[in-house]
Amino acid sequence: MRLLVLLWSLGPLLWQLRTSLLRPEALVAPLREGNPWTLANYQLVLCGDPPFWQYLTNSTLVGLATTLLTLLLAVPCAYGLQKLRGPMRWGVGLALAAAAMFPTVLLFLALLEIARSFGLANNLLALSLPYAALSLPLAVLLLRAAFADLPGELEDAARLEGLGLGQRLRFVLLPLLGPALASTAILVFLASWNEYAIALTWISRSDLLTLPIAIARIGGGSVFTIPYGAFAAATVLGSLPLLLLVLVAQRSIVSGLTRGAVKG
Amino acid sequence: MSAPTVSLLLMLPALLLLASVFLYPLLRYGWLSLQASSVLTGLVPVPNGGANWGRLLDDARFWTDAGQTLRFALCSVSLELLGGLALALLLHRPLRGRGPLRALTLLPWALPTTVMALGWRWILNDPHGPINAAIRSLGGSSYGFLSTPATTWFFVVLADVWKTMPFVALLLLAGLQTIPVDLEEALRLEGASRLQILRRLTLPLLVPYLTLALLFRLAQALGVFDLIQVLTGGGPAGSTESLALYAYLNAMRFLDFGYASTVMLATFLLLLVSLGGGWLLLRRHGQGHATERAA
Amino acid sequence: MSPSSAAGLELRQLCRQVGDRRLLDRLDLQVAPGECVALLGPSGCGKSTTLRLVAGLDPASGGQVLLDGVDLTGRSPGERQVAMVFQSYALYPHLSVEGNLDLGLKVRGMAPRERQQRIDATLELLQLGELRQRRPAQLSGGQRQRVALARALLRQPRIVLLDEPMSNLDAQLREDLRPELRRLLCGREQPVIYVTHDQQEAVGMADRIALLDAGRLQQVGSPRELYTNPANRFVASFLGRPAINLLAIEPGRQLGLRPEHIHLADDGGVAARLLRREWWGHQQLLWLQTQWGALRVLTTAEAPMHPEPRLSWERQHELWFDAQSGARLPPP
Repeated sequence: MRLLVLLWSLGPLLWQLRTSLLRPEALVAPLREGNPWTLANYQLVLCGDPPFWQYLTNSTLVGLATTLLTLLLAVPCAYGLQKLRGPMRWGVGLALAAAAMFPTVLLFLALLEIARSFGLANNLLALSLPYAALSLPLAVLLLRAAFADLPGELEDAARLEGLGLGQRLRFVLLPLLGPALASTAILVFLASWNEYAIALTWISRSDLLTLPIAIARIGGGSVFTIPYGAFAAATVLGSLPLLLLVLVAQRSIVSGLTRGAVKG
Repeated sequence: MSAPTVSLLLMLPALLLLASVFLYPLLRYGWLSLQASSVLTGLVPVPNGGANWGRLLDDARFWTDAGQTLRFALCSVSLELLGGLALALLLHRPLRGRGPLRALTLLPWALPTTVMALGWRWILNDPHGPINAAIRSLGGSSYGFLSTPATTWFFVVLADVWKTMPFVALLLLAGLQTIPVDLEEALRLEGASRLQILRRLTLPLLVPYLTLALLFRLAQALGVFDLIQVLTGGGPAGSTESLALYAYLNAMRFLDFGYASTVMLATFLLLLVSLGGGWLLLRRHGQGHATERAA
Repeated sequence: MSPSSAAGLELRQLCRQVGDRRLLDRLDLQVAPGECVALLGPSGCGKSTTLRLVAGLDPASGGQVLLDGVDLTGRSPGERQVAMVFQSYALYPHLSVEGNLDLGLKVRGMAPRERQQRIDATLELLQLGELRQRRPAQLSGGQRQRVALARALLRQPRIVLLDEPMSNLDAQLREDLRPELRRLLCGREQPVIYVTHDQQEAVGMADRIALLDAGRLQQVGSPRELYTNPANRFVASFLGRPAINLLAIEPGRQLGLRPEHIHLADDGGVAARLLRREWWGHQQLLWLQTQWGALRVLTTAEAPMHPEPRLSWERQHELWFDAQSGARLPPP
């Protein structure tokens, strides 16, 4: 059972790994002689123009900027929402849930117009603005649930000791929110790393492409001319950071979503 | 300052950004959908008195795509829910190596859709992909999976299920973890079989999570774009084209912003109607359940 | 002397309303310097609400909180110099014992030397020196409570509030800690308000008890006053265990008789039949059937027991109530 599940989840990925290590001739037909294994695909991808690590850097940069911006906006918003009472709280919560579900591809045209009129196209940091907005609903809902989980008496005690709002957040609430912040940050980072439609329309300079676009470009052209070996190597390289992230943060992803789902 | 005022001030920056990214586009599309704004007008909006909407009603391609999108969404979401439930039940059981297993099954969801869409293209490649290689070694002849509408459609669904099932499983796993062990033990003491426990206890308590997963996934699937754009480009012969892809083509290939806005807005409206319909259906079903239990 | 110049804490017509729920209804209460008043009542009676209003954690819907004649009502919690020990102790889980004490002093901008001195002195007073580097999770329930107490006393508060500070401790520890708590808190300059739902604790800790029910003050006075001279049926039945017997002897009136005030007699009095006896070691509780229903009677453990005893009591122990309103009535 376990094996079957693993085969289903990992099979396609392992096939990519295999493809990336084979010589192009070996992809088409089993070689009669000689070693079919090679690292040439990786060499090709890493030494391309621009070199592949450039895309990794771009995606990392956008991901970090997005994560930072999202948390910066989401923490106060979640705290405020948690303190709010009455119909406003209900309304904002519902709006956030609706926005979290919204298929983002439907937004790209208007966002592209915005990018053009404010000169934000081809700017990696500017890309983190819409990304942060797309991640905000989920982040706010997750963090609000985390705030709700903290015992109210802790903040009361801090208020009695004369801590202002900023001090309460800094010295008492945020240190206790560590795990929730971490899992939210990971989810935001993942979403930004994988986003396609907006990056596709905002970024056209090839040295500024993010990873999904760059990989899709390698695979561009027609079905028959894709350099599958090089593409597979790019896939493997682009997946490694995520593989590490998911392996390390599995527990915190699960627990983060658990809490968000319960309260969301 | 009163507490509600402070709350609102704290929320203001986030809400402003959200409004400009979610609300503004919808308003903008509403306005643009009433304009002619294409290469013909030099991309300058000119009011055309609702001609876009008239065109939409007569646009066979739009309605074909709407049907295809709906079919895709219903098929892949129901498969995801079933598979996700099975996966969640498996991952919930105390197995050896459960942590790494969870992480590895989660992996497809964490990878960029586009990357794996290309991966599938290679796996389904005619004639060099592994599936065709296997067919040939069994004495068959290779098959153009992505050049026949029927199989292409099936594999698009499959690729989507492969990618998002882990997410559904994760949500349901979260739900499973909220069910107290006592309840299951109490039922077991009364002699209930595993299947009975699943039907009488686990599933009813999972309903909120199933609903959440259903609504969320349905919304995402009705807006499917990157998977199809990369895997099939909407082909063969437009048989896998989704509404979002059609809207994208209108904007970026045909450069008709007015009509693209109309298509996007219409897609959004169809989405609302489908979600609302699904919601009502669930509610009615839920009430039926409640009365059945009461009787 | 005008009432506003009274020393100590004074609550005047204090109200709290949320939506259309009235949590506290025009409470008047005075606590003298050094006095400990217990707020007692069932859950939801408004006792914790009162505490939060005094601390300034929730806004009052009406009325005033005065300290030594100065109105505190509009001030933030931080400005009130109020110390509070919470039911959960509310220790910061990510800080050590020392860090818990230090945070409040630090944000007030006190110099490090002075902070250290104060912390050392307080830890000494509460015998917590050994534990200063521990996290709250590494402490026992009693130790946590002492740390919470230390944090409250550290800032030399002008009012001390305790919200069920012992309800998370086991029964034995609660009894042991009562004298220490009194030694540390009461008899100094500050007024002390002690919230509890446990009448034993209230009697053991407080100089006076204020009994609340449904957001209203029912009676305030010394434990003895409340016990012997209850203002109404609620006060009479809330205090005293086993609970008072209420007998519908006459239409419109109820007779209250405490179980320990009923004697077993050989003849005369009221006829009764033994239903059940609970043996408590030093005493026994008898359940007796009479013409007015079942009665609880507390006697010495060795009292001889007739299966159909006669019951009698003294007139002075009779408490009469209005059957409808529960108000106390004069004896007939």
